[in-house]
Amino acid sequence: MNRPGLLTACTAMLRRDLTLAWRRRGDIAMPVLYALIVTMLFPFALGPEDTLLQRIAGGVVLVTVLLAMLLALDAMFSSDIEDGSLEQLVMAPQPLALMLGMKILAHWITTALPLIVIAPLLASMLHLPGAVIPVLLLALSLATPLLSLFGAVLVALTAGTRRSGMLLALMLLPLCVPAVIFAAGAVAAAQQGLPWLAPIIWLAAALVLAVVLAPLACAAALRIALDA
Amino acid sequence: MSNWIPLWLHKLGSPPTFYRFAGALQPWAMTLALLLGAIALYGGLVLAPADYQQGDAYRIIFIHVPSAEMSMFIYAAMGVAAFIALVWRIKLAEVVAMESAPIGAAFTFITLVTGSLWGKPMWGTWWTWDARLTSELVLLFLYLGVIGLYHAFEDRRQGARAAAFLAIIGIINVPIVHFSVNWWNTLHQGSTINVFGQSKMSWDMLWPLLTMMLATKFYYAASLFRRARTDLLAMEGGKDWVRKIAADEAKP
Repeated sequence: MNRPGLLTACTAMLRRDLTLAWRRRGDIAMPVLYALIVTMLFPFALGPEDTLLQRIAGGVVLVTVLLAMLLALDAMFSSDIEDGSLEQLVMAPQPLALMLGMKILAHWITTALPLIVIAPLLASMLHLPGAVIPVLLLALSLATPLLSLFGAVLVALTAGTRRSGMLLALMLLPLCVPAVIFAAGAVAAAQQGLPWLAPIIWLAAALVLAVVLAPLACAAALRIALDA
Repeated sequence: MSNWIPLWLHKLGSPPTFYRFAGALQPWAMTLALLLGAIALYGGLVLAPADYQQGDAYRIIFIHVPSAEMSMFIYAAMGVAAFIALVWRIKLAEVVAMESAPIGAAFTFITLVTGSLWGKPMWGTWWTWDARLTSELVLLFLYLGVIGLYHAFEDRRQGARAAAFLAIIGIINVPIVHFSVNWWNTLHQGSTINVFGQSKMSWDMLWPLLTMMLATKFYYAASLFRRARTDLLAMEGGKDWVRKIAADEAKP
């Protein structure tokens, strides 16, 4: 395999997944609607006091986005397993980890990006100060790929099972505790006027590590889950 | 020459040999666990003096600390077995890893329960969002995830391999969770027992604690042997050696 071949394969993979997602545009809207509705429930449950909502806004938006992503995570490989194209991908001469990386990227673009776009709206529904919103967006844009990468490994592990939804939540949520702590820590620090760069840098470091390791782990997990 | 150790280990990896080996050791391990546990409980609850500050309430340490230690020790053991299972695809290692998980989860649960019982009189609350408590809770969820994933597969060996992979991911993640949570919030006291150097505890209180730690290790071994034997029988159901055992047991 020479280099241009690999690049062509990557773009083809990415284009295929994005086209498939675009053909089912309704599915893209679902996590966004879910996040909107969950955020809307918080003022009902806690009361419409501005100061209280302001204090919890950052954390609520983060957790809501994570849960919305979890909802969509289940479908990452399911259609490809059903029609058998994942097996073809495993047998393809291109490195599986790279191809899966492209699939994860496509999944992130179709589920997390709309959530990040809508996050300012969610945050201002809870009266998060406008000055903090850029920090929230930065934290989200580092934490969501981390979640997609972690999630992809676990989805690959459950690829051979049926009814994996709750199991996925049970496995993923403990693993993303650090991401939540650092992302929420950055937002809270920004809200109190403290320096918020350190947790963001921690997140970025974790993301760099995950970008390198998670596709490899995902490929290994998929090989385990698919061979019977 | 001196290659009998690898040879013996290699032999031990075969299910029938391990079945006999575990069957022979299991009663001894259980007896030792019960004996040491009884001694430790007597030493801890009767012989050891009351704490000058906490009074008798501190005595729950003789359950709490050994099970907390076991919750991490078993996770490490499970991780090592999982690694062996994934790399060398040894059936016995899969069984050991998967049968360690429920024992570890039980110890983690005991740690959380005794901790909250202890927290009520000392901190005035059953639960607090402290670093150590939270990471112990995360550990419990990791155990439950491994157990859940193992049972989600129809093919047991495939399930064991997938769950072993999850256990290894967990091992990488546990220190990260621990440090991030530490940075987040801390109330729990530091460690009292120090392996290298002076422990911050009088010998009267220390020896029952150490004895209990030893007892829990033996209990783990006994429980693991018993579970692994049952699992091996179920897994190797159609094999000749199992049939032989069944035929022997059927004889009056």
